[in-house]
Amino acid sequence: MEKKIVKNDRTGEQYTYVKHPTGLDIYIWKMEDYSTTYALFGTKYGSINTKFKTKDEADFITVPNGIAHYLEHKLFENEDCDVFSLYAKTGASANAYTSFDKTCYLFSCTDNVYDSLEILLSFVQNPYFTEETVRKEQGIIGQEIRMYDDDAGWRVFFNMLQGMYHNHPVKIDIAGTVESIAQINADLLYKCYYTFYNLNNMVLSIAGNVDEDRVLEICDKFLKNNDNPELETAFEDEPETVCKKEVVQNLEISMPMFNIGFKAKPEKGLDALRAEVETNFVLSLLADESSDFYKKLYDEGLINSSFSSEVFKGDGYFCSIFGGESRDPRLVRDRIIEEIDRCKREGFDRERFDCVKKAYYGALIRNFNDAEAIATNVINAGMERLSFFDVIETVAAVAFEDMAKRLDKQFDTKNVTISIIEPLGGKEEQN
Amino acid sequence: MIKLPINYNREKIADGIHYTTIINKRLKTNYFIVHLVTELSEKTASLNAIVPAVLSATNAKLPTITDFSKKLSSLYGASLRGYAAKASDNQDLVISAACINDRYCFDGEKITEELAGILADCLTDPHLEGEAFFESDFALKKQELLDDIDAEINEKRSYAFKRANLSIFKGEPAAISAKGDREQAEKITADSAYRQYKKLLETARIEIFFVGAEECVESKKILTDALLKISRNYGGDSSSKLSPLKSKVCRVTEPHDVAQSKMFMAFKTDYEDYPAMRLMLAIYGATPISKLFMNVREKLSLCYYCSSMYNDKKGVVYVDSGIEHSNVKKAEAEIINQLDAMQKGDFTEEDFDNARKAIINVWKGVTDGARTIADWYFNQIGKNEIYSPEEMIERLMKVTREDVIAASNSLKLDTVYVLTGKEAV
Repeated sequence: MEKKIVKNDRTGEQYTYVKHPTGLDIYIWKMEDYSTTYALFGTKYGSINTKFKTKDEADFITVPNGIAHYLEHKLFENEDCDVFSLYAKTGASANAYTSFDKTCYLFSCTDNVYDSLEILLSFVQNPYFTEETVRKEQGIIGQEIRMYDDDAGWRVFFNMLQGMYHNHPVKIDIAGTVESIAQINADLLYKCYYTFYNLNNMVLSIAGNVDEDRVLEICDKFLKNNDNPELETAFEDEPETVCKKEVVQNLEISMPMFNIGFKAKPEKGLDALRAEVETNFVLSLLADESSDFYKKLYDEGLINSSFSSEVFKGDGYFCSIFGGESRDPRLVRDRIIEEIDRCKREGFDRERFDCVKKAYYGALIRNFNDAEAIATNVINAGMERLSFFDVIETVAAVAFEDMAKRLDKQFDTKNVTISIIEPLGGKEEQN
Repeated sequence: MIKLPINYNREKIADGIHYTTIINKRLKTNYFIVHLVTELSEKTASLNAIVPAVLSATNAKLPTITDFSKKLSSLYGASLRGYAAKASDNQDLVISAACINDRYCFDGEKITEELAGILADCLTDPHLEGEAFFESDFALKKQELLDDIDAEINEKRSYAFKRANLSIFKGEPAAISAKGDREQAEKITADSAYRQYKKLLETARIEIFFVGAEECVESKKILTDALLKISRNYGGDSSSKLSPLKSKVCRVTEPHDVAQSKMFMAFKTDYEDYPAMRLMLAIYGATPISKLFMNVREKLSLCYYCSSMYNDKKGVVYVDSGIEHSNVKKAEAEIINQLDAMQKGDFTEEDFDNARKAIINVWKGVTDGARTIADWYFNQIGKNEIYSPEEMIERLMKVTREDVIAASNSLKLDTVYVLTGKEAV
């Protein structure tokens, strides 16, 4: 067992990393005197991983959309009972989520931490489903999909992804579609389970007032040895250009909502982290609430306080998104493009850069209050084979001089998609 | 007795003004929250709602949103927010501010004091134009309030909740939305909003909370000095009243462009033992092992979510679910069926123990967060006795099976509200 303590001088924080003999990466972050312990056990398997091969297969195979999420639902059922009823005995609050590139099972508790950890490790490693139990879940997941159909914030985001990506599966809803989930059966679930729920492809992250040795004892007892399947995932080739410049949908809402996305080339590992951090800096400099540009649009009534921006990135995709509500979303897009062009010509303000850096650092420190934030940040970094401290150090290392380069690289003003949700009565169109 | 590592102290500053300090050594951030609690009425709801929005955007010393936001960024991304919320029959106008603890600053800056100063200025020294809020900034905030009121239809679940409350609390202040309605909001001017702000400072109950790793005497002085300058005319506030049960169940179905129906069922209760009611609801509908989750969702696959919530000040239990249009009746029948089972005592000792553990888990965790612990105490103000999380857990440990059955039998169906697809009506 490989074990090391990872320290960060800048913050005085530390955690323990263990490479378990089963292949699992384990992160333990001790928080003295806290009441809550938060644990996440996750696999690098999300909605986008629909094409893969292992050493047992000659070629890549492609499976229907929505399996990662479906599996998440089904793992909560054991042969004889529901997993929630096991947790009920410890008082832990348990849940799970599936995102584009990961599925995580989690609990938070204040008592009986080790019993809860045993439950977590054992149910995730023991799948049980039959054709009948799989069929039954279609009703519940169907209702979950319908719930999101009514969610304008969700729709405006996915419509933008559909406009941006030609082939990358990130454009498909995480839960799949009513049609794709109808194709899911027990065999497919088992196939994907044994491919992706391999400890070599998984991470355990735990933060709270825990005893490291006891955590590792439980890991030794409950983690199962498994053969490394040498998993490879792949995606269809994705052109650099956006698929559609504009996607419009009508829903019963009050004011148009928009997402404006700038498509850029994805990177990997530390480069991807650096791209993300620097792009976030650029987004703040361009259009956060302290920018003159924000004030101009706000004073003109073109945006309101819902206006925000973010980086969205993962395996095979990277984009910068501006979102909000506006009476004239297309004009907001045009103005953002003008502002980007202006900043490319004239550069940024150094004083504002210093403020942005302080603010970013402050936001990271705030995370240290909270077991959930720590465990989540640690697992997110761990899945990319990075450390949470890499994020802090990357932020500390960002230099003003990098901003212009990053703006050029990540903001191609010809490669933009706008998604608009219009109130009912407007016109639906796709260009 | 469990001892949770926090220290709580509430002191009176002036008539109807209190300053509460909560010290939790583990925290790496400092958090301030100021509540102005006032009567919720149709006439003033919008007028009040705009006040925290205006006050949290600028002040006399930082007169533009750009100056204001630049300053907060330079304080290591400190935040300062204002909004209006509903506290049962009252309106709660909130301004909160947070920053990292000074010890994390690069150059020993005293950012907590600075933030307290900005917050004090926001409260007592706003950006004015004569005897009114600064017109152009005000106009934008007014437009935002109107947009927010219009945008209530965007989120279907919360929209259904708002519509359901209109029927559940018919004729009571709690029926009114925290932001008021469009008609009243349109009438607000920079002048009328400023007059209302002055009135609020004089008459509202003001609760200030500071939560941090150590006491910040300077910040407290800055805030209390600012508030002591206000001339007060506090007449006390009216606490919320239990909502009366309707003589006949009120049924409302409204058509809307939704793919899934959103149903809110409301039960009224006058049961007074809070921990017993919470325990009853944990067994009935507030956890993933509850009767509603296990039966309505898991066994019958009728919905993705189906859970219960409790407003103890109004004596209302809600059951909230999202269902296929054609299954609304079936879901309602099953929700009633499961309550019936509770009332007959159809739950095991194990259900009882598990529910208790789930609640203890939540209550013990309350002390880990600045916001959660401040809310815990704020929500109890006005009650006869204030309980710490550990004291509340002790009360919970005394709840018996009979108490839980009695709590469930106190629930009486009052309202069934369904927001449903236009094609389903």
